[in-house]
Amino acid sequence: MIIFGLNFGPIVSVFPALLVGLWLTVLVSVTAIVLGGFLGLSAAIARSLAPRWLKWPIDAYVEVIRNTPLLIQLYIIFLGLPSIGIRLSPIEAGIIGLTINVGAYCTEIFRAGIESVHKSQIEAGLSLGLSRVQIVRYVVVVPAVARVWPSLVSQFVLLMLASSVCSFISLEEISGAAYTIQSATFLNFEVYIVIGVMYLLLAAGLRTLMMFIGEHLLPGPDRSRRRPAPKSVSTKIVEARP
Amino acid sequence: MLKISKAFTAVLFGLVVGSAFAASAQTVDELVASGKIRIGVNSAAPPFSVIDTSGKVIGYDVEVGEKIAEFLGVDAEFTPYATAARIPALESSKIDIAIATLTPTPARAKVVMFTIPYVTFGSSIISSKDDKITSLEDLAGKKVGVARGTPQEVKLMEEGPDGMEIARFEDDSIAMQALVAGQVYAIAVPDTTFIEYRKSRPDNPFDFKFSLQNFFMSIAVRKDAYELQQWLNTVISFMKVNGDLNTLYAKWVGKPLPEIMPEF
Repeated sequence: MIIFGLNFGPIVSVFPALLVGLWLTVLVSVTAIVLGGFLGLSAAIARSLAPRWLKWPIDAYVEVIRNTPLLIQLYIIFLGLPSIGIRLSPIEAGIIGLTINVGAYCTEIFRAGIESVHKSQIEAGLSLGLSRVQIVRYVVVVPAVARVWPSLVSQFVLLMLASSVCSFISLEEISGAAYTIQSATFLNFEVYIVIGVMYLLLAAGLRTLMMFIGEHLLPGPDRSRRRPAPKSVSTKIVEARP
Repeated sequence: MLKISKAFTAVLFGLVVGSAFAASAQTVDELVASGKIRIGVNSAAPPFSVIDTSGKVIGYDVEVGEKIAEFLGVDAEFTPYATAARIPALESSKIDIAIATLTPTPARAKVVMFTIPYVTFGSSIISSKDDKITSLEDLAGKKVGVARGTPQEVKLMEEGPDGMEIARFEDDSIAMQALVAGQVYAIAVPDTTFIEYRKSRPDNPFDFKFSLQNFFMSIAVRKDAYELQQWLNTVISFMKVNGDLNTLYAKWVGKPLPEIMPEF
């Protein structure tokens, strides 16, 4: 027996609120992905190069963030920091919280990539006369990033989906807007279906964009072998020949 | 086989007797004769009823129940029920009356019978003590925190002035935290939320500004217990006049009981 039907009519009138929510989700998650990506990369490089005393703060950051709930991190930033005089708006708190969170996961992902570079390759770089900076850049970081790119993309999509937690600190992103519409209209299933489709499209779009970036800006596992070495490097190689 | 049929007969007999009991209207005489009154309370509705660390139910509703038992001259036996189980427990005769934060609504009154309200449950706007706001209009251009899916949220959405921003949080205590953290200018929460907060932080800089809504709560009896309902109405009215309800309200809720409560 069907006791109720789906009624999408009222959703049309609240669609603008959902679009504002969509924009906020994109704004918060894309900013956090860019900032968190760079944070993670810097932390991973610093960790592999740094002396021991710098390693443990980075490890502590990664472990603390990866082993506490995102919601608690957001509550501490939004409701806890004001007690030491730092009051952030829901958007600022959301971006900072998500950046710190995804930064920790990215650090781990990049670290795995960096560690996968075999010592012999670094030695090969040294024997070719590359400088320390050149080795870090061309031998270690670029191939490492290319190698971990797929896991990075998954992490970024996860972060975009997890950004719904920002509704708990009163940010009216997609989920927040949906909860509000729901308590006004009681159209639970309809609202969930609409925002489910929105998240699905966002995730698919983000994944496609990231894969496109990976294809065009990073050396692929196959292409890297055929790819001509950067100019400065090739000059060095020529000079190094007797 | 014999055993089975005996057991079956016993069950059948139990059912017949049980339903016979359920069918007869609960009277005051019956309660007095049985020497006890079984009272259902809400299992988690501080300060009306809450289970303390020793597993005992305490609260305003419990003490009202104790007063009623005292007037009857019997012992009170309290059983806490989850919100959705309160009316079924009454209907299935597990309890004699429910003093369980039940707001009398037309839908509920089809199933059980309500006495006149014995308590009120309000929500208010809370903000800084120095603030001079007296109505929702004064909140134009301000950010007001509220818990999602509550009557307060609906009230703010429907009657809040243009330019008032609503910040929605997961529950009343997070909304309270947002006020403490200065993330919102004011909050709309049940009075009890702020009273409980004030108990743990007596030096806080906030205060009640104005009342937003009032709900009234009644004692429920089974549908045919007219005599018991009328007796309870008399008792509630008596306790309103002699100040018993006010004393209990001041003890548990921390402010005087509103003078005007509907009677029906």
